[in-house]
Amino acid sequence: MKRQGPIILAFTIGMLMLVQFFTPAAFFKQAYNIILDWKQVVLGFTFILGTWSLIRYHYTKISRRRENWQYSYVTLAGLAATVTAALVWKTATGPYPWLFNNVQVPMQSTMFSLLAFFVASASYRAFRARTFHATLLLIAGALVMLGRVPIGAYLSGSVFGVKISLVEISDWVLNVPNAAAKRGIMIGVGLGMTATAIKIVLGIEQTYLGKTD
Amino acid sequence: MAFYDRMMSIDRRIIFLSVGLAVAIPIIVPLGFPVQVSEETRSFYREMAALKPGDTILLSFDYEGDVMAELNPMAVAVLRHAFSRDIKVVAITTYAGGTGIAERLLTEAAARYGKTYGIDYVFLGYNPDWSGTMLRLGESFKATYPTDQYGKSTYEIPIMQNVETYRDIALVVSISGSALSEYWAIWAGGRYGAKVISGNTAIQAILIYPYYKAGQIPGFLGGLKGAAEYEKLIDEPGMGIRGMDAQSVAHALMLAFIIVGNVGYFFSRRAQARQSK
Amino acid sequence: MVIAVVAGIAPPTAAVTAPEVDVSDTPYDWGESLTINWIPSGPPDSIDHYEIWRRAGWAMLPAPIGQAHSSSFARIIREAGWHLAGTASATDTVFIDSGLSSDSSYVYLVAAYGKRSIRISQPTRPARPRRQYLDTRHTNILLATILFISAVVFFVERARRGANLFIRRIAGLEAIEEAVGRATEMGRPILYVPGLEAMDEVATVAAIDILGQVAKKAGEYGTRLLVPNRDPIVMAVAQQVVRESFSAVGKPHMFRSQDVFYVTFSQFGFAAAVAGLMMRERPATNFFMGRFYAESLVLAETGNATGAIQIAGTDADAQLPFFISACDYTLIGEELYAGSVYLSRQPLLLGALKAQDYAKALIIGAVFGVVLLYLISPEIAELVRKAFG
Repeated sequence: MKRQGPIILAFTIGMLMLVQFFTPAAFFKQAYNIILDWKQVVLGFTFILGTWSLIRYHYTKISRRRENWQYSYVTLAGLAATVTAALVWKTATGPYPWLFNNVQVPMQSTMFSLLAFFVASASYRAFRARTFHATLLLIAGALVMLGRVPIGAYLSGSVFGVKISLVEISDWVLNVPNAAAKRGIMIGVGLGMTATAIKIVLGIEQTYLGKTD
Repeated sequence: MAFYDRMMSIDRRIIFLSVGLAVAIPIIVPLGFPVQVSEETRSFYREMAALKPGDTILLSFDYEGDVMAELNPMAVAVLRHAFSRDIKVVAITTYAGGTGIAERLLTEAAARYGKTYGIDYVFLGYNPDWSGTMLRLGESFKATYPTDQYGKSTYEIPIMQNVETYRDIALVVSISGSALSEYWAIWAGGRYGAKVISGNTAIQAILIYPYYKAGQIPGFLGGLKGAAEYEKLIDEPGMGIRGMDAQSVAHALMLAFIIVGNVGYFFSRRAQARQSK
Repeated sequence: MVIAVVAGIAPPTAAVTAPEVDVSDTPYDWGESLTINWIPSGPPDSIDHYEIWRRAGWAMLPAPIGQAHSSSFARIIREAGWHLAGTASATDTVFIDSGLSSDSSYVYLVAAYGKRSIRISQPTRPARPRRQYLDTRHTNILLATILFISAVVFFVERARRGANLFIRRIAGLEAIEEAVGRATEMGRPILYVPGLEAMDEVATVAAIDILGQVAKKAGEYGTRLLVPNRDPIVMAVAQQVVRESFSAVGKPHMFRSQDVFYVTFSQFGFAAAVAGLMMRERPATNFFMGRFYAESLVLAETGNATGAIQIAGTDADAQLPFFISACDYTLIGEELYAGSVYLSRQPLLLGALKAQDYAKALIIGAVFGVVLLYLISPEIAELVRKAFG
């Protein structure tokens, strides 16, 4: 029952959600709304689970003096400070918005800004015209990179009377070959998602139970 | 080491430093490159411009602090465009970190245009279940958000009196740094017939083109350039336009590095071919 | 049509007429609503708002209305058994009245409130909400779903009976054994990141499937496996999977809960933590399987800088270019979903994969067919598109 219970539940709820899409019958609509409500409740509990898991992991690290255990104090102190700030001074004013605007946002923005540097080094390393396809990729990438910024419009002009607009070329690359390739991948991914969902509903796929065979 | 080998193996610290300078200097010393408006942005603008005073839009802040630099200009421009035309805004966020961002932008825009909370706009807050939220809003806004961000019952908020489902929303605007705009189009648009437009980071924007071509997302803003274009259309220059010089120079620099690497590669191959002869 | 006027003063010069109203069943519902349409009574600036009134059964307008003042309109009409169903703005022309019973008939009238007068329509014919049992807007999806489920069941059954179902070679999956072996030889751990999404994402399910196979290999070779997680439920499932995989190869003692751990829900906090882990632990092999976002390049570039062999797989096509440029092998889109099937060769999973392939072949054929039809006869192609679209 420990194994069969979740499978029966997955089948029941999966079929309910599938059928409700095709019929406006009141029973299915009510079931749909109830399931969505419960989904919110379950998700709320995952935050509790996550917080508990974080605290347990770092507490264990400190108590067993594992490598870099000192940094676990920083993590737990940060968690405690943020929660305390939100509970005592609320979130509209006081230390909580200060922590958000002066600590969390700058840290997140900094991490994201690393991408600019990584993209530069990755593209310098990867965009080599080794083969025909790589050369095609390089040319398309160069045209889109220039066409997507104002300098592209600045650099556009006429060559031997033929108007060359980097912006228009870039738009064509994005609207035609890029969109076509994306659609192909999306169709494949969509079918894969549907197949996996069917497997889960029918009980063929049981990975979510921790079962691998 | 031959010159072509040096060209192919530039220290990544030099690359990082160059990119840093390429971004920082144009911010300090603007170059004033002109912004040309793309068709996608024009379509986005047309959808917003077609709204009538008194219409209500659902503005979803689907991002948090990491992509704030790229998406805040879009959100600010949307709010300015809406408030300047007396369009009401029902705002939500699907990221916990988006709460502070949304509150700040809404408050600043409202103060600029003299808008009143609860009458002209409302912030319903954060809901961790973004997929359930998109579906549930199609059944009932008030059941999905019984209270707003500040704990007031949505049944008592004036702007929410006539907002029950997507049918009462003229436009769903998703400002997103992830795939959430696509899900808005699929679930709010596909299932409930809501009209969805989006503002996306440049990375995510390339995924929106199939939806744009199919009419599922009739207009979108792509990256900081999209924000700059929209600011130009609504005649409210902001961080989008200011960032374009830096982005232009950075792109040109990256291209220069790529060209250098390929020139080195070309000479390296020629040298290898000569040696093998 | 007789026009009823509530006269407080002489009719205004702006032409506000009584609305022409029609009522019909709201489609695709369970018989609980009716849709009321009307033609605007005048320019929007001459109308203040509309009121929609409802009465069960059949009705005429109450006689005193013709002589009543606008202020008494609501009282008189209520006394005649009408109820206010709702209001609409000056620019609206549709109102959906919900919460009705499919056992009753209803009549409606619409009152157009001008700046100085009210114009009232005649009551509509009685209408009864009807139940629709099928949302016919989704017929094509229903047919496609039934077809696809049938194909899955058919091929699963074929696989169960021992049919040899072919899967093409996928380089990234073939390289798993070599990658795990490399980590064993170098005496360094394996890092496995199962994406950033929750367990309800198909990509995460596929990633956990592959994790099970990788964990078995790691257990066989006695190599340490690190699995940082962004989602607590995924962490719980990953712990279970890794524990079972180690037990399956006779190495249950290899499982350590601190090696399969929760990091943080913050996207870039997670990326920073994993990047730091890579710099400190120097894993010889990195697996990035599942749904990733902007942090993918941070992870892949950091792993590349440490010299690890990297195998990535994601259905997030925006991140594919970053993985392809920084990783040794990349599984693209549905190759990730095929991963566990490819490694385990379980008949049930194999059958579902074949069904996907045939469905895709059907879609490709349909796309080519319609394109060809457009070239031959655009009119017929439009008919086909409207029939199935």
